[in-house]
Amino acid sequence: MDFYFGLAQLIGVHTLLGLSAYIVLLTGQVSLAQAAFYAIGAYVAGMLTVLGGWHLVPALGVSALAGAAIACAVGFPALRVKGLMLVIATLAFGEGVRLIFFNFDYQIAKGDVKVGPLGGEGFRQIRFFPENGWSTAEVMLFIWAFVILVMALLWWFDRSRYGSVLRAVGEDELAAQSVGINLTAVKVSAMTVGGGIAGIAGALYAHYTTHIEHSSFNVLVATFAIAYPIVGGLQNVFGTLLAVIFVQGFLIEGLRDLGDWRNLLFGALIVLAMNLRPRGFFGGRRRA
Amino acid sequence: MLELKGVSRHFGGVRAVDGFDLRVNQGQIFGLIGPNGSGKSTTVNLITGLFPLTSGVISFKNRDLGRMPTHLRLQSGIARTFQNIRLFGQLTVWQNLWVAQNSPEDQARHGFFPRWLGGQRGVRGEIAQLLEFSGLAHKAEELAANLAFGEQRRLELARAMAAKPALLLLDEPAAGMNSEEIGQLRDRILKLRERGVTILLVEHVMELVMGVTDRIAVLNFGQKIAEGTPAEIQSDAGVRKAYLGGEAA
Amino acid sequence: MLDFFQAVSDGVLFGATYALIGIGFTLVFGVMHKINMAYAAASIGSAYAALLVLKLMAGAPPWLIFAGAFVAGGVLGYMLYLACFHFIPLSSPLATLMSTVGMLLLIDEVIVHVTAGMPQNFPAMYDDVMLRAGEFTLRGDLLLVFGVSVVAMVALLLLLYRTRLGLATRAVSQQAVAAQLCGIRVGQVNAMTFVVTGLLGGLAGAMIGASVGALSPLLTTPLTVKGLIVTVVGGLGSIPGAIVAGLLVGGFENVFQLYRGVTERDLYVMLLLFVFLVFRPGGIFGIQDDRG
Repeated sequence: MDFYFGLAQLIGVHTLLGLSAYIVLLTGQVSLAQAAFYAIGAYVAGMLTVLGGWHLVPALGVSALAGAAIACAVGFPALRVKGLMLVIATLAFGEGVRLIFFNFDYQIAKGDVKVGPLGGEGFRQIRFFPENGWSTAEVMLFIWAFVILVMALLWWFDRSRYGSVLRAVGEDELAAQSVGINLTAVKVSAMTVGGGIAGIAGALYAHYTTHIEHSSFNVLVATFAIAYPIVGGLQNVFGTLLAVIFVQGFLIEGLRDLGDWRNLLFGALIVLAMNLRPRGFFGGRRRA
Repeated sequence: MLELKGVSRHFGGVRAVDGFDLRVNQGQIFGLIGPNGSGKSTTVNLITGLFPLTSGVISFKNRDLGRMPTHLRLQSGIARTFQNIRLFGQLTVWQNLWVAQNSPEDQARHGFFPRWLGGQRGVRGEIAQLLEFSGLAHKAEELAANLAFGEQRRLELARAMAAKPALLLLDEPAAGMNSEEIGQLRDRILKLRERGVTILLVEHVMELVMGVTDRIAVLNFGQKIAEGTPAEIQSDAGVRKAYLGGEAA
Repeated sequence: MLDFFQAVSDGVLFGATYALIGIGFTLVFGVMHKINMAYAAASIGSAYAALLVLKLMAGAPPWLIFAGAFVAGGVLGYMLYLACFHFIPLSSPLATLMSTVGMLLLIDEVIVHVTAGMPQNFPAMYDDVMLRAGEFTLRGDLLLVFGVSVVAMVALLLLLYRTRLGLATRAVSQQAVAAQLCGIRVGQVNAMTFVVTGLLGGLAGAMIGASVGALSPLLTTPLTVKGLIVTVVGGLGSIPGAIVAGLLVGGFENVFQLYRGVTERDLYVMLLLFVFLVFRPGGIFGIQDDRG
């Protein structure tokens, strides 16, 4: 049973990661930086609970703010340029953040043990959950509470004018400008919200795995983040959720017997999916 | 309402618009005609700020627009339609109108949160009116991409009206229409004038232009070659030469 | 001071490989307005594939292995085209982009699997040759890398400007629809673009392997990032831009490494990218156009 709870935790966190890319993709921008905001959320929350003794919930709040703030800062210069440039800029930014954490040491002594991030070795002993007696099931429910919260938020956006404006920008920037929509404000706002969601995802990730390191936030993870909404379709938030369940649940766990070849299949699966269903499995409303 | 003084737009060696003077008074329906490539669409793009001016001044309501960005111009009482329809195909008819409600009136009235995160209820009445006016009420929930061509044109106009403009720039709205549709368009334009909207009509289809405008300016190779009432323009030899390339019978 | 010039010189010589990678990215962008995210991975992959030559023919001379990488690059380029661009409608930019990312991951994983993650030695030529001018040295192997890269660039420019295929390619990059209407088979041109850039990429991969002395799957991501940085700094779509930017980045990188060490070096290169994005998004040779 614990195995399935663990899987559910993973699916939950990855859904949040995918949703952070979803809102940015609605505006037609492809961001490979969501893994970087995810990393920032993870390290910030980890340091607050482990080094600062904070409770997880306020730490989550700070992670969300940190992710959002940095996404906003990155968004402003990066969004002034054309879409493909954003892919490159966010890729470079993501790698840069990973390199920073690769070199990041900040340890303090707790009793006779040193805790904190240690460069390439990563950040171990993020033990808020075990130390406070959380069971695997409780952690899973906690994570999913946030997943449901974020999905509800994005669902609300989708039904509001903001959601239609996001999609208008994603569809035709020239027309959007010409009806009085402020492109930069809309795109940066989407990046900011996405960064906040990724920050929460990262914080939850750090605490359920208890050990994070720079390689947990590499290009592969950045790819997962955008793959989910693209494969799931941008119609609504459920597409992303279903894509995560499909990829993680079926592919990675269901094909366990294939061992190491699972990762290989992920790349191949994406290529296949894009050839068969360019608009995503669950996405794209039919044109007449 | 709208004034262009010595407006020029040069792309490298090409003078798309050259020293263009124009004055549109409030409540007028002003036509802008000329052969293909004469700079008509470029003029509209210059007014909305999509291209910077090479020289000259564009004033709206006596204020120089300067380097004001496009979206701000379109929020200040100007609206436009596109020659090649640019609707948001993946949004419904209703949503296409909704995203265009960015006028100063809308901004002042509703407040930040209701305007962006509120639901449809607040603006249902207004949008319903627009849909009625354009004959699209029965298609409110249809995706814009699924509409028939004539319906798309009406939506394009309705969307421009959603911005509650004082000045409406129509870029070849009659292209591809038959006589009956042109008649309906003419009626709609006249109704808009009754509501106090000033209109600059860029058009090729003479049936519409001659029948609805108060005044016309003619462009050729970026320069204004004539200006006057429809009757004056029709009898102007220079205009005929520009269109027909030689003395007409 | 001498160290500085030495660093610049070594860096610029190595930067020729970055220029080749940058050209590959920029050419595909110029012709198809798409980025082939898998390009750098394919370059390294071609170099790995060339090592198969060694397996089949023990003691094969290095130049034969370089040639193997060259050929493998072309084959891999064509496969990339088929997997990502032939069937997927070009009007779905997200889908094509995503599929190239998928191929990037796939190539990476294949390399890791086949080599069990262990770095593989790659032959070099003239690595024992050193031209000296007092304290200043020019490494033979780097000179070869530079030389081969220059020859490849010249060959590419000749192809683009002196052959019919090149003419067709330039036509498609300027006005794809009009080119099609003139009878140019756009699909064929696109495929050939991938083959040609693949050949260049294979050569670049071999040259990188030769100067580093070994191949490792860890090379692909930094190379992708740097290649894209070179493309952006040079101006998307500009080949002379990619060449200049490649040499520039190579030189800068080595100088940063001299003063700040290997790990910080990559961060500074990224900083270079952001400076350009903010102040000159068109790149060095980008068209500064105010068409909006």
